[in-house]
Amino acid sequence: MTLLQINNLSKTYPDGTSALKGINLSIEKGEFVAVIGPSGAGKSTLLRSINRLVDPTNGEILFNNHNMVTVKSSQLRKQRRNMAMIFQGYNLIERTSVLNNVLHGRLGYMNTFSTLLSVFSGKDKEAARQLLQRVGLESQMYKRADELSGGQKQRVGIARAIMQEPELILADEPIASLDPLSSELIMNHLYTICKEEEIACLCNLHQVDVAKKYATRIIGINGGQKVFDGSPAELTEDIIAEIYQSSKKVLVS
Amino acid sequence: MNAVDVQKARKIKKLQTWLIVLGIVVITIWSGIETDFSFESLIFGSREAATFVFTDLLPPDFTVITGLIKPALDTIYMSFVAMVIGAVIAAFLSVFTAATTSPHPALQVFMRAYSSLFRNIPVLIWTILLTASFGLGALVGTLSLIMVSVGVLTRAFAEVLEEIDEGQVEAIRATGANYFKVLAQGVLPQFSPGFFGWSLYMLEINVRASTIIGMVGGGGLGFVIQSNIKLFQYGQVSMAIILVLVIVLLTEWLTNQIRERII
Amino acid sequence: MKGKTMSIDKLSSINIAEANKPRKNNALLIVLILGGIFFFFSLSQLPIDYSKLIEGSAKFLSTLTVMLPPDMTYWREVLLAALESLQVAIVGTVIAIILGLLLSFPAAENLTPHPSIAWGIKGFASFLRAIPTLIWALIFIVAVGMGPFTGILAITVGATGMLIKVFSQSIEEIDEGVIEAMKATGASWTSIVIHGVIPTVLTAFLAWCILRLEGDIAESTILGAVGAGGIGWELMHAMRLYKFDQAFFVALVIFAMVFSVELVTNRLKMRLKTK
Repeated sequence: MTLLQINNLSKTYPDGTSALKGINLSIEKGEFVAVIGPSGAGKSTLLRSINRLVDPTNGEILFNNHNMVTVKSSQLRKQRRNMAMIFQGYNLIERTSVLNNVLHGRLGYMNTFSTLLSVFSGKDKEAARQLLQRVGLESQMYKRADELSGGQKQRVGIARAIMQEPELILADEPIASLDPLSSELIMNHLYTICKEEEIACLCNLHQVDVAKKYATRIIGINGGQKVFDGSPAELTEDIIAEIYQSSKKVLVS
Repeated sequence: MNAVDVQKARKIKKLQTWLIVLGIVVITIWSGIETDFSFESLIFGSREAATFVFTDLLPPDFTVITGLIKPALDTIYMSFVAMVIGAVIAAFLSVFTAATTSPHPALQVFMRAYSSLFRNIPVLIWTILLTASFGLGALVGTLSLIMVSVGVLTRAFAEVLEEIDEGQVEAIRATGANYFKVLAQGVLPQFSPGFFGWSLYMLEINVRASTIIGMVGGGGLGFVIQSNIKLFQYGQVSMAIILVLVIVLLTEWLTNQIRERII
Repeated sequence: MKGKTMSIDKLSSINIAEANKPRKNNALLIVLILGGIFFFFSLSQLPIDYSKLIEGSAKFLSTLTVMLPPDMTYWREVLLAALESLQVAIVGTVIAIILGLLLSFPAAENLTPHPSIAWGIKGFASFLRAIPTLIWALIFIVAVGMGPFTGILAITVGATGMLIKVFSQSIEEIDEGVIEAMKATGASWTSIVIHGVIPTVLTAFLAWCILRLEGDIAESTILGAVGAGGIGWELMHAMRLYKFDQAFFVALVIFAMVFSVELVTNRLKMRLKTK
C-alpha cells in the first residue's frame, strides 16, 4: 500500500495567487524524498497541505488511505500524530526545557485528562531521554530551549518529530537557517534515524547538492507544478537549470 | 554543575513555586472569609445585579440627554486641561527627577518621593481632601486631576529622560552646537515619543477618573449619577452611564489614532 | 551634512527616518495646534471661579495647619479598614484572574474556535472596562447592598475586562510557527494551550496580574467612599465631621498602603525581568 498518494492537488489563495496547480505524487514507506525548486515555487505549500496546516482548494491527499483534505477534526489529529513536521525556524517552546519539548511529540496520543494534569508517563520520559541521547543532546536535557544554538534546536526538533513514532516526516527547509557544519550534522541525523526506523521523509531543500547526497528520489517543483520526478542520477545539470530557470524568466520580464 | 546538582536545583525551584502558590491561595481564602465572601452570595449578587440592570436601569431615559450634555462636556474639559497643565509642569519637574539630569542626588530623591506622594494618592482621595478648601465643583475636580497627572507624568518623564541614548546627544554636541541646539536636536526627538505617549495615556486615565469625581464633589457626570441614584431616578442614571461609556470609548479610540499618527 | 564617520547602517536608517519625518511632523503640528486651541477653549468653558482658586489656596494652607499633626486616636479602626480594602482588592483580583484566564484564550484571534467568539468576548471586555469601577460599585450597591462584598464584585468586573484584553493581546503576540508546530503533532486544542501557549506567555501574564493588583488596591481604597467597604469610608466620615486631623491620618495610611504596594511590585517586576 502506498503510504502517501497525492492526486491533482491545487491551492489557490483568495487573492488569486495559485500556489499549487494539479500536483500528482506518491511516496512509499521508508522512502527519503527531497523536494527542490526556486523560492515561492510551492514547496512549502505542498508540505503544509499534507498535514493541513494549509487547506487545499482541490484534489485529494491519501495518507494510509485517509483523505487529509476531507477528514474531520479528531480524525485529523489522529493522522497528524502519525506524520511529524520539522520547521526551518525550529518552532520550539522557548521557555520550557529541551526534555519537555521532545515530550510534546506524545501530545497527540494523550487524552484530555492527562493533558490537563500535565503529566507525562515515566515510559515517555525515558523514551525522550533516549532520543535525546541519539541526537547527542542528553546533557542539555533540562536546559531551556532558548539557551541552545540553532543546530542544537533543530536536533531537538528532530527528536520531537521521532517521538511521535510517525510513518512520515515532513521537513520544511530544515537546514536553511544553519551553517554548513550544522547542516551536515542535521541531515546525517535525519537520514540515519529515518533509515533505522523505516520512516518516510519528504524534505524541502534549496541546496541541490544536499538533495542529491541523501535522497533516493528527487522531486522538482516550479510554479506550483511538478516538473521532475526521478532518481538523483537522472538529475542532470540541464534539468536543474530548467527547474530553476523558469523563475529567472519571470524576474527579467 | 553535574547532573545531580541540576536535579536538586530544579527540585528546590519547584518547591519554592508551589509554596508561593500555596501562600497566595491561603491569603485569598482568608481575605474572602474576612469580607464575607461566599459562592452563594456571588450567585445571589450576580442575579440581583442582573435583575437591577434589566428592570430598573434599562431602558435608559433618553429625554434627559440634553441636560447631561453640559456635565459631560465639563468632564471632557476637566480631563484635557488637567492633562495639559500636568504634562507641562511634569516636563519641567522631570528634569530634576531623572538621575541623569538632576543637579544633585538629594534633590533627585526628594523629587522622586514628592512625585510618589502625588501619584499614589488616588484621585478621589485628593478630591475629598480638597473640597474642604475649594468647595465643590469643577475647580476641585480639575485640581485633583492635575495633582495626580503631575505625579504620574513626572515619574514617567523622568524614566524617559533616563533612557535617552547619550551617544546621540554626544554626536550633536560634537558638531559644535550650543546648549539649546543640543537640547532641541539631541534630547527632544528622543523625548517626544515618550512625552506624547504618556500624555495620551494620562488623558485616558483622567477621562475615566473625571467621570466619577463628581460623586465626591468634583463636578461632571459623576455628580449627576450620584444624585440620581439617591433619587431612585435609574433611567437617568443609565443614560448618564451610557454617556460615560461613549466618552471613555471615544477617548480611547482618539488616543489610538493620534498615537499611530505621531509616534 | 553628517560626518563620514557614521556607519552605513546608521546612515540608511537615518535616511528612512528622514523620509518618514515630514509626514509625522505634519501630523504632530496639527495635533499640537488643535490641542492648544482645545485647551484654551476648555479652560474658558469650565465653570471655574478664579477668585475661589486664590481663596481656596489660602484656605488650603490654613487647613494644612489644622491637619497637622495627624490625629491617630482611631488608629485601630482605620488600620482595620485599610486591611479590609486590601482584602477586597485581593479577592477581586484573584477572581478576575481566574475569569480572565478562562476567557482570554477563546478571545485570542490565533486560538479562537471562531472569529466571532473572539470579537464577542473582546467587545464584552471593553464594555466591562470602560465603565469606571466606582460606577459598577454604585450599581452593585443598589442591587446587592453596601459592604465589602459589593466592593469585591465591583473590582472583579472592571479587572476582568482589563485582564481579558491584555491576556489576549499577549497570546496574539506568540510566534505563529510555534502554534503550528504543536498542531502538526496532532495535539488537541487544550494541549496546545497548556503546553505551548501558557509557558510562553507566563511571564507576561504574571506582570499583568501584578499590575492589576496594584491598580485594584488603589481603587478599593476609594470604593469605601460610596459605601462599598474599606478605608474610603473612614476618610469620608472624618471629612464630614470636619475632623481634618483625623482625615489627614487616614489619607496618610492610604498613601502608605498604595506606596508600599508600589515598592513591592517594583521589586517583583525586577525579578520577573531577570527570569
